[in-house]
Amino acid sequence: CSISMNIHEIRDGFGTIKKVIQARDPIRTASILHPHSLHNFQILDSCCLARSILRFYLDKVFRHCETGSLYINRKISGIANSFLSIEKKFRVCQDENMCNCGEEAINKYHQIIRNYEQMDVTLAAMKALGELDILLNWLEAY
Amino acid sequence: PSPRNVHFVSRNLKNVLHWLPPEGIPEDKLIYSVKYLVYGTTRWIQDAECRNISQTWCDLSRGTSDHKELYHARVKAFLNGSCSSWTESPRFNPLTDTKIDPPAFALSSAEKSISVIVAAPKTWSRNSRNEPNYLHEIYPILQYNVSVYNTKKKTQEAVTILLGYILPVLLTVLIILVSCCCVYRYIHITKQKYPTNLVRVLYYPCSIDKCERGNLLPSEK
Amino acid sequence: GVLLPAPRNITILSTNMKHFLVWSPVMVPGAAVKYSVEFQGEYERDYANDSWIPIGECTGISVTQCDITEDISATVPYDLRVRAGVGTQASHWATLSSFFNRVTTSLIPPMLTVTADGYHLLVELERLGPAFEFWIYYWKKGQGHKVYRKVVKDSSTTLHMDTMEAGTEYCVKAQTYVEAINRSSNFSQVQCVRAEAGKAILVT
Repeated sequence: CSISMNIHEIRDGFGTIKKVIQARDPIRTASILHPHSLHNFQILDSCCLARSILRFYLDKVFRHCETGSLYINRKISGIANSFLSIEKKFRVCQDENMCNCGEEAINKYHQIIRNYEQMDVTLAAMKALGELDILLNWLEAY
Repeated sequence: PSPRNVHFVSRNLKNVLHWLPPEGIPEDKLIYSVKYLVYGTTRWIQDAECRNISQTWCDLSRGTSDHKELYHARVKAFLNGSCSSWTESPRFNPLTDTKIDPPAFALSSAEKSISVIVAAPKTWSRNSRNEPNYLHEIYPILQYNVSVYNTKKKTQEAVTILLGYILPVLLTVLIILVSCCCVYRYIHITKQKYPTNLVRVLYYPCSIDKCERGNLLPSEK
Repeated sequence: GVLLPAPRNITILSTNMKHFLVWSPVMVPGAAVKYSVEFQGEYERDYANDSWIPIGECTGISVTQCDITEDISATVPYDLRVRAGVGTQASHWATLSSFFNRVTTSLIPPMLTVTADGYHLLVELERLGPAFEFWIYYWKKGQGHKVYRKVVKDSSTTLHMDTMEAGTEYCVKAQTYVEAINRSSNFSQVQCVRAEAGKAILVT
């Protein structure tokens, strides 16, 4: 399942709001995506994990990231719509049975959900958004 | 007061923490202590080389050498036995936040060709034998832009500009100046007498010494 | 009072990934009409309760156009709406007749300047922004079957394509490619040059 994702366009958008978003995440000692484990993830299952994480951001994260700044809201909208555009391509792979989920991908995804649900929803959403560069680094290697 | 503006400055993955001293405190008596944390873990780590230091920077490359992780650092100031609260840095992502130096390169020319040998910048090295790593081992899609500058063409352009624009302009200005000088000399310097048949007509009452100006008209003879 | 009429003829002009929303002015004698623009992507429709996002630079403007390039930053269908306002009075929102997807932008063949500097075949390109790649094709005249291609992302400097054989005519054409929408423009005009020692003749 090879997909063109145009990561640098998303990275540019995120780059303009990264400092502000990460500054709103006071918890240093907890991570939702946890970089190390994402990077050491097995290549085989990465299609399923990538799609699941994209859906996680669409379903749970972006909607709780409303800020008082119109500029930041517009940038978040751009990122969210880019995620949707990529997720739709993954959906096609899934429909053609090229994006099946192994046990490891499922476990990893559930770990991410547990990390997320241990925190207050707005704090967790802002932390997940602040960890976008971790996800983009990993998707870029996908 | 606490240290200010704590932030990482990274080049080729050599990650150095910088900060500003607390406001309004004489710097020479201050000493600092630095800790760093791998984002998402719970332990703040003390860097041995960054303890009780007086400078306002410290090299954390060794502690932050896993470039896939993210980091925070914090600094505390000590003065005469009392200490400030910690000041933390923004989150630091080595892969995206490091600045890449230009590559080293060498030129060699053959009869009809030039060879450009390019080497990726070296990164900070973890091992003591200082065996360098290279950036392309970390960034698989490292790309290079090579530009060629034709100095001969530039001198030709300079000559063209000189002959084509500068000299003609100078000549024209010179000619204008010389002709103005001649006209001026003709009018003012050679004491020319007015023809005798012209009479000065004064058209407003005034005393002689104030009426230097007026029209010269032929007299009614 | 009588409600202000909504703007009409709302359309999008999109060329080379630059997108502008334009509409007809609302005429109110003796009043300064102001307009406001909002956008909505597919995400907002499917996941965010059909919410709309105002465009700061196009809120309370008097011109009848708005640069929406920065907000159309994904390849999904977008909806846009405009309303008119005079003082506290505002018209209904008027929306696009159909969604806009940037994949429909019209890509213009790139402007190209081909020169020969001695034996060197050089090409200068216009700057179109980071979204664009340039695919440059060149061949020896008469050998159309053997075409070389160079892909260039940074068009800010003159590009050296090849070292030419003396007396041989080389022809060049180019097209743009936008990865974000996976589309290319048509080809530019073909330009041919010939290199002779120290001199260059442009033959088109």
